[in-house]
Amino acid sequence: MPRITDLSSFNEAREAGLAKLLPPTPRIAIGMGTCGTGNGAEAVLQSFSDAINQRGLSIALARTGCFGFCAAEPLVNVWLPGKPLVILQRVQPNDTAAILDDLTAGRIPAGLALCRIDEWDHITGHVKYGSGFPEIPLWNEIPFFKGQKKIVLRNCGLIDPTDIEEFLAVGGYQALYKALIDANPASIVESIKAAKLRGRGGAGFQTGSKWEFLSKAKADRKYLICNADEGDPGAYMNRNEIESDPHSLIEGMIIGGYVTGASHGIVYVRAEYPLAVHRLETAIHQAEEWGLLGDNILGRGFNFRLQLIEGAGAFVCGEETALIRSLEGKAGRPTPRPPYPADSGLFGQPTNINNVETWYNVAPIVVKGPAWFTETGSPKSPGTKVFSLVGKVVNTGLVEMPLGTPLKTFVYDVGGGTANDRAVKAVQTGGPSGGCIPQEMFDTPVDYETLAQLGSIMGSGGMVVMDEDNCMVDVARYFIEFTHSESCGKCIPCRVGLDKSLHYLNRITQGKGTEADLATLDELGRMIRDTSLCGLGQTAPNPVLTTMRHFRHEFEDHIRASRCRAGVCEDLALSPCENSCPLHMNIPRFLQLLKEDRLEDAFVSVVMDNPLPASTGRVCQHPCDDRCRRSGIDSAVNMREVHRHIADSIYPSPRFPDLVARLSALRKPSTGLRCAVVGAGPTGLACAFYLRMLGHDVMVYDSNPNAGGMLRYALPDYRLPKEVLDREVELIKLIGVDFTFNTRVPADISLNELDQRYNAVFLAIGTWKENWVYLPGTELTGVIPALPFLESVSKRETVPLGKRVIVIGGGNAAIDSARTALRLGSGVTILYRRERKDMPAIPEETEAAEAEGAKIAFLASPHRIVGSPDGRVTAIEAVKTRLGEYDSSGRRRPIPTDEIVRFNCDTVILAVGETVDIDFAKASGLKISDRGLIEVDRYSLETSRSKFYAGGDLITGASNVSGAMGLGKKAARNIDKRLTGLKRWRDLFPKFEYDQAAPAHPSDSRRHHVRELEAEDRARTFSEATVGLTSVEAMEESCRCLRCDVRTGDH
Amino acid sequence: MPAEFLPGDAPQRGALSFEEQDFIDRLIASHQGQPGMLLSLLEEIQERQPHKYLPADYLEYLAARTGIPGAQIYSVATFYALFNLKPQGDHTICICRGTACHTRGSRDLLERMKLQLGLVPEEDDGSADKLSMTTPDRRFTLRTVACFGQCALAPVVEVDHAIHGHVNERALDREVDALRKGGA
Ligand code: FES
Repeated sequence: MPRITDLSSFNEAREAGLAKLLPPTPRIAIGMGTCGTGNGAEAVLQSFSDAINQRGLSIALARTGCFGFCAAEPLVNVWLPGKPLVILQRVQPNDTAAILDDLTAGRIPAGLALCRIDEWDHITGHVKYGSGFPEIPLWNEIPFFKGQKKIVLRNCGLIDPTDIEEFLAVGGYQALYKALIDANPASIVESIKAAKLRGRGGAGFQTGSKWEFLSKAKADRKYLICNADEGDPGAYMNRNEIESDPHSLIEGMIIGGYVTGASHGIVYVRAEYPLAVHRLETAIHQAEEWGLLGDNILGRGFNFRLQLIEGAGAFVCGEETALIRSLEGKAGRPTPRPPYPADSGLFGQPTNINNVETWYNVAPIVVKGPAWFTETGSPKSPGTKVFSLVGKVVNTGLVEMPLGTPLKTFVYDVGGGTANDRAVKAVQTGGPSGGCIPQEMFDTPVDYETLAQLGSIMGSGGMVVMDEDNCMVDVARYFIEFTHSESCGKCIPCRVGLDKSLHYLNRITQGKGTEADLATLDELGRMIRDTSLCGLGQTAPNPVLTTMRHFRHEFEDHIRASRCRAGVCEDLALSPCENSCPLHMNIPRFLQLLKEDRLEDAFVSVVMDNPLPASTGRVCQHPCDDRCRRSGIDSAVNMREVHRHIADSIYPSPRFPDLVARLSALRKPSTGLRCAVVGAGPTGLACAFYLRMLGHDVMVYDSNPNAGGMLRYALPDYRLPKEVLDREVELIKLIGVDFTFNTRVPADISLNELDQRYNAVFLAIGTWKENWVYLPGTELTGVIPALPFLESVSKRETVPLGKRVIVIGGGNAAIDSARTALRLGSGVTILYRRERKDMPAIPEETEAAEAEGAKIAFLASPHRIVGSPDGRVTAIEAVKTRLGEYDSSGRRRPIPTDEIVRFNCDTVILAVGETVDIDFAKASGLKISDRGLIEVDRYSLETSRSKFYAGGDLITGASNVSGAMGLGKKAARNIDKRLTGLKRWRDLFPKFEYDQAAPAHPSDSRRHHVRELEAEDRARTFSEATVGLTSVEAMEESCRCLRCDVRTGDH
Repeated sequence: MPAEFLPGDAPQRGALSFEEQDFIDRLIASHQGQPGMLLSLLEEIQERQPHKYLPADYLEYLAARTGIPGAQIYSVATFYALFNLKPQGDHTICICRGTACHTRGSRDLLERMKLQLGLVPEEDDGSADKLSMTTPDRRFTLRTVACFGQCALAPVVEVDHAIHGHVNERALDREVDALRKGGA
């Protein structure tokens, strides 16, 4: 084995390494970090090596570490002499044959290429791969890598971590060589200080100062320790760094030893990282053999030993004094400072501890100097930091960014946003010691100071993205549970305080919390933070304090309404579907009742939960689908269609009268109290139904001649046939709700009159004002708003519609207008300014519209409408947009380009959103909110005027049918409570006996979909476009339910 | 402290075979005087056991030979999550309860596994999420870990040392079924 003793032996080894990196033959290197192997890299390697042997190819095969893009693993680097290095993504064993075919023919496998690297700056060295393949993007042109600067990860994924020669080839041990030759340790300490290198493990102390202390300490033996006990759950950069580039750590530590006078180094690695342990052991061994570690390093008379210790799973050992106790053979309990480790550390000797990543920055600073280092990052926090970007983003992986990069760059640009259409809610940084930063604050630059101001910390660099499905109370509880069980128990604030905090958080997640608990939690948190012995306790309250600060409404929801909107806190929900349903239908129950062949019971169950089950069974946005646990197995149970089926089987059947009688029998005895409901739309109908069932006299006022509101006047017949709605309204009439039609509030009857005549008034006027876009030409004949258009059609009035119709918008009203226009015989194009995935319309509806012949122009923003001299529409011009930065809704903002497209047309339908007309409210003592809506108490729906409640679009703006009905239901509950002073709500609902066992195995059947009529046929008629499930299908759907409502004992 | 664990000056009569005593002696010799010695010794002793735990007679012998007080060894053995004082099952299923895995539903997986294996937590002390439970027939041990460092693959489950990423309930059920059928 060659020992490196001088420049020539050094250079020889480098040449040898370079010949491996850039051999005369093609080279394939497979990413074999833990993420790679977890994704099947072993099999890929095997398959390459078999094929290469079999075919007798002269191709160099190697393994390398991880290049950081974990979501695209297994990554494979391929290189042809003279050409750029190309990184292939998601390579599977069955791709290997084709890859070898391509490479031997001098080509790059087209479909798999992720990016190319022409040359690489290893900071301490430089490798030129070659040029060519312009069609493949450069590595830093693809979103995941854009803006990244690889200083710490300089070698990761490019060299073989088990081969010291490759490390030498890219400039490895160069810095050590320089340091030993220059023989000026003090100047290196100065450089580290000047570079303002801050500890990358958490608190961010100046590394240079720590080194200075140690170098000045006088002792026979001094220790350097690398803390690789990466205990922060959700962060794994240290694992990757050691697995992919162990020698850089060793080099950093030897230099540290040289300049501080320490002769012994210890790397304390988590035992959960077996591959990292193994690679580091190998590297230490190699470095010793090559004369780079041990006695007389590089022949310069300096001795340094490095030892690897496996930690045994204790988070508190991240605290330096605890780690030292652990190395001394004791339980890892911290001790007070002073004495600081620099004075009295391991076995009482001067000791310095730095995090893994800190050590990786040493060699670059030594070679390039502090001025170069401070060019990157922010003035107070120079350099880069590696973050593990995980959780609810598409592109998960390790990201090395200059400090000071805004959070939104991480989440949206690098991370690519969320995979589904859920909005991102927060980013958790710093693990159990950090906090949650809400989406509104994503402009925050990520550095030590700014994160601290928000109550979080940078910590080791974990970044966990959370979306709407994550409950922030649960997140707080989760972290406290973690620190609670990891607390070493030595000091009382941490041991007892965290226990009490957990107790209160548990209560809140179980719906048993009180407002006073929040105050106590806050006080406890501050006390623990201020009085704990070590960093664990001092930072443990951060997750609670930040979530209470930034997500207080979620805590309040849990406490005041026993509601966990994310559906995480199981005690607050029957099942995920029930929790997502705005009406909180007991979905598992009706599915089970149907499964037990008890159709009538199922109907009662459904109607009592949702008084318009047939209509909502057709038009609901079905949020339940997204929550169904079955989708983790195949796809969600089609719950909406099952209740449609149940309703459709009863309403038109001879059983209907019996069921009306059964429901009437559930009605509470008359209270003699009188309620008015203004608006006979879904919100008003729902409220009226429940108020009536609770025994009150109910009168519903509506300006139209019939009930149903938007359901009747805005939804086209092909989506909701009028007969279906009629039968549902009939049921509501039969249980005793009265209606006064053709009456406007307040024109025909004033709020004061209502106030006098009724004990309570519920305002539920829908959205009837179409937003108007201000663009040139809207005054032309042929420009019509969507809602009046749909209304006229549903009233069977004749609408003058041209042959070529343009619809502007992407919501349900836009799609409804388009499909209606198609049925009236026109050709239709929809203009939408964003992308398909941003459309608010129900996706099935959009697909149906396209199948029926509607065209959609995405990324097209209307610019002006062109008219003929006689004032009629002849065309519309739209500006093509491209996607720019992410806005606060987490969608990319459309930015106009220079390109203008023209569509000839004779009608333009504007469907850009609706607003509520609340002019009536202004003079009536009802407070208006900043959003121009009626202000209500979030929990009771009471307005500022006594007796008056409001719901539906009036308080939320335009929304969907079930959401609006849910508010009607909630209002009825609160009105009743107020009127009677009793909590009678739960008694209203009948009890059913039914099987309470979860299926032992999921049923085999797949999701049943409704049958659509052939697009050509349905596009010509207004009769219903879909046929509901058959009885057998509905039954099979019911059997697919996993019965999340059934709890096992220990929940 | 369990009754059977009584550190003394000399190893208990016949507690440990000479072979095992020799193993420990050599182990001690190779780590003597180094930082982290006790951790390393315990790790290697545990690794040697087919059921991955620290038998009391080994600890007693260790105490006697190193001069480290038995109480200190016991303190260390109970402090760190890695060490087991009870024999582990033939198969170990380890579910990650790290943040990334938690946000991607690892609690449901844990509940599902408890149900599947018929494990009931001994007492609900509010920290049931950090656990190690073995079935009475010692076939399965279910445990949790703070993080595997595989967060990009969340949720992550380790079944007999093989890492599985993006796990759902059905996949996990299948793994366990396979282990059940596979005998031993
Ligand atoms: S959080 Fe589960 S592997 Fe890291």
